[in-house]
Amino acid sequence: MRRSRWPPVVTAAVLVFLWLPIAVLAANSFNRSRFGSSWEGLSLRWYRALLADADTWRALRNSLVVGVGATLTSLALGTSAAVALHRHRSRLQRLHYALVYSPLVVPDLLMGMSLLVLFVALGADLGLGTVYLAHTTFCVSYVAMVVLARLQDFDPSILEAARDLGAGRWTVVRRVLLPLLAPGLAAAGLLAFTLSIDDFVITFFVAGPGATTLPVRVYSMIKHSRNLPAINALSVLMLAATFTAVRASRRLLQEDRP
Amino acid sequence: MTADHLRREEWAVTLPSLGWLLALFAAPTLLVFAVSFRPADPYGGIGAGWTLATLREMARTPLGPVIARTVRLSALTTAICLALAIPCGTCLARVAPRRQAVLLLLVVVPFWTSFLIRVFAWRMLLHPEGPLKRVLVTVGLADPHTQLLYSEPAVLLVMVYTFLPFAILPIYAAAEKFDLALLEAARDLGAGPWGAFVKVFLPGIGRGVLTATLMVLIPALGSYVIPDLVGGPGQDMLGNRIAQRAFSDRNLPQASALSAALTLAALAPMALAALVQRRPPALEAAARKEAA
Amino acid sequence: MATDGFLIFENVTKRFGAHAAVDGVSVGVQKGEVFSLLGPSGCGKTTLLRIAAGLETPDEGRVWLDGEDITDLPPERRRVNTVFQNYALFPHLTVAENIAFGPRAAGWPRARIREEVDRMLALVQLTDQAGKKPRMLSGGQKQRVAIARALINQPRVLLLDEPLAALDLKLRQRMLVELDLIHDEVGITFVYVTHDQGEAMGLSDRIAVMNRGRIEQIGRPAEIYEAPRTGFVAAFIGDTNFLEGRVEEHLGDNYCRLGVEGFPDIECFNDTGRPPGEPVCLSVRPEKIRISRERPEPAPHVNVVPARVADAIYLGTHTRFWVRVGRHRVAVWQPHARFLLDERPIRWGDEVWISWHGDDGFMLERFSGADAALVATPPERIGAANGGVAP
Repeated sequence: MRRSRWPPVVTAAVLVFLWLPIAVLAANSFNRSRFGSSWEGLSLRWYRALLADADTWRALRNSLVVGVGATLTSLALGTSAAVALHRHRSRLQRLHYALVYSPLVVPDLLMGMSLLVLFVALGADLGLGTVYLAHTTFCVSYVAMVVLARLQDFDPSILEAARDLGAGRWTVVRRVLLPLLAPGLAAAGLLAFTLSIDDFVITFFVAGPGATTLPVRVYSMIKHSRNLPAINALSVLMLAATFTAVRASRRLLQEDRP
Repeated sequence: MTADHLRREEWAVTLPSLGWLLALFAAPTLLVFAVSFRPADPYGGIGAGWTLATLREMARTPLGPVIARTVRLSALTTAICLALAIPCGTCLARVAPRRQAVLLLLVVVPFWTSFLIRVFAWRMLLHPEGPLKRVLVTVGLADPHTQLLYSEPAVLLVMVYTFLPFAILPIYAAAEKFDLALLEAARDLGAGPWGAFVKVFLPGIGRGVLTATLMVLIPALGSYVIPDLVGGPGQDMLGNRIAQRAFSDRNLPQASALSAALTLAALAPMALAALVQRRPPALEAAARKEAA
Repeated sequence: MATDGFLIFENVTKRFGAHAAVDGVSVGVQKGEVFSLLGPSGCGKTTLLRIAAGLETPDEGRVWLDGEDITDLPPERRRVNTVFQNYALFPHLTVAENIAFGPRAAGWPRARIREEVDRMLALVQLTDQAGKKPRMLSGGQKQRVAIARALINQPRVLLLDEPLAALDLKLRQRMLVELDLIHDEVGITFVYVTHDQGEAMGLSDRIAVMNRGRIEQIGRPAEIYEAPRTGFVAAFIGDTNFLEGRVEEHLGDNYCRLGVEGFPDIECFNDTGRPPGEPVCLSVRPEKIRISRERPEPAPHVNVVPARVADAIYLGTHTRFWVRVGRHRVAVWQPHARFLLDERPIRWGDEVWISWHGDDGFMLERFSGADAALVATPPERIGAANGGVAP
């Protein structure tokens, strides 16, 4: 029985499709030319232009502050949520699960819009604070899902064994549960951080004029700036950061797999 | 451990996330519906009192084409993504494990890279002076006046590009679990290759296809950045209208009303999916009767 | 066509990479018989079955069905159906829909499909389960659905790939009887793949024992058991003792004298006329050997050998002894024909006599290569493992 030849052909085409823009972008960041329509020689001028731009540096700083804050808060909330969902089966947890799961499927735009309405209704000042609250909200769900998957992976009798061997409740958490969860937590944290750093739509809705994050800055550069190749350079730097993060998270998750 | 104690422990671990999400996810979502019935205030805030003015105002603006475009582009994006993801996910599920890890990474990594940057990359590619146009003109597939960027096909292209990994991954996961012996059984029982694919493989990965559909369709309905950056002035989707009302017109009630409509639109496919997944007993009985 | 039969494999070879899973096999299956392919896993039996089904294409050779060359026909165009190892029932279809799959693909009229599905459900006693999904069925029920789903298409040949492997022992024995009844009822040719000699013996008209892509022996179950032609067959089917020795002289009446180190002269049936001096391997099945405290009366062609009991395991129906003769350990199975507690049982360390008739010994080639490992397996290991060589 012969297998259809279509799937591999389509897969190859899909991979080319997925990588083509990224490859072109990377190549153009080193191109002396302005529009990348022709190759005018290798150059680092766009990188120099980018690094000299104070607004970009400020946006990066904002992104990092929000990212770190949202990551830490969502790690705490998400892990606690995962433990609750894993250990308890009740009507409360069904509601809890629906609430944790829904932000994953709701379009960004709606989440940004609803948070904007909330902040305006409460009379809150839009700024880094509201961005932090918004980012934490969507990160909680992702963290909870990653940690929950990790919890479901390991054998509950390990915890019972620890109790059996005389460990108290807190000792079990500290000496057994947390070390076992650590790679999952690290991966979840990395995911939350990446999502926060990368988010544009929600940030755009809830950020005030002063709270420009990196993606908001990129957006305004794309929209308004004539200095396009500098975005290329920025993109490549961001790509490099993403690849590093992906590598790191894969190592974390695979480390203790048999 | 007493039941009481257990209960208290459950609340202790549930309350932080539950409280946070109730306050910052559930409440604002409901608030959007409520604000649709409030008047706008001239400073971009929400006025006092209740009114139907917003809805009446909305009925007067011609939203039909925007809604039609939103639905059309989202449905097309979903269809194209599925058409590509089914063979691709199947292929990923069947290759040798070593290769599989690499291929999966190749699918996932672009999806991890900054969304804005990927959209920007397409702007570069589709730019009137960009490489794609030059190639197309050279090959003779386009004439120098063809507009690639700022067109509806461009929006569709970038939407497919953006959402494709969301379709591939669930289909891959389902195909991986699919027992290939079932295809052999179908062939053995007289079904041709196409018959086996339609009657056995597609139902077998049905859940994956359903997940993929939702994962593409729902965010596609809420697209905003893509039509904003690669679509032309006449190619607004519902998302652009919402942003326009919220930022340019500073009319939050109207933006809310549109958001509420979009929320309902996003809920519809979910409800439909829930209905399909839990097939009611009546259908099951009908199927049984037909078979027997 | 050198071989004759209803389903014929002619010089069939199938390679996966450099490895030949099936290596030049020629065999003819007769119409209406139950023909088993028996061998350890990896011997090529499943590959051969899949070639018959059209799920694999042979690299060399032809496959004929009822005089027609079907080698290049796709599976859906062969009038051959398969019962898959793990049933491969369609999980999204009910029992009745699973059974109706083939007829629907073939475009039978609705009324006929309904009628035939009902008939099949009755045949496999699943009428009351017709509307259930496969996941709601027990292993035995799934098995029966798989059989009905294949049989409804009225195949010329039904291929069964380890159909009972996933069932527990009791169910396996019951399904074996049911399969036999179904075969009697429908009269279709069965080709049955298994690694379980018990299944093959119980069900088959003929068995082909396969090893490393080749057929070692084809014959009726009794022929294969009583007169194995190779060491592999002797060891794989049932249990046996292997004693390496040499033909010393011919004795007339088709007997010869064998020399085995540590044994007195051994008489053995020698219809193949092996010349004196030839190294051979003597195979004697443990249940053919008698064990006794007293020296048995001498009789023509009976070998009598003194031994010492090294081990004894009481198993109810019989006792398994391992006795030592020189450096050899010999397995002896003694059935308990009489009430055992009245006797003084033979115990560990007892001096005993073992005896067997010359007709019960078989001289086989000494083996080489991978089969040597099999022969090197000490008798106690072979005796201990249920089917000789563990699959």
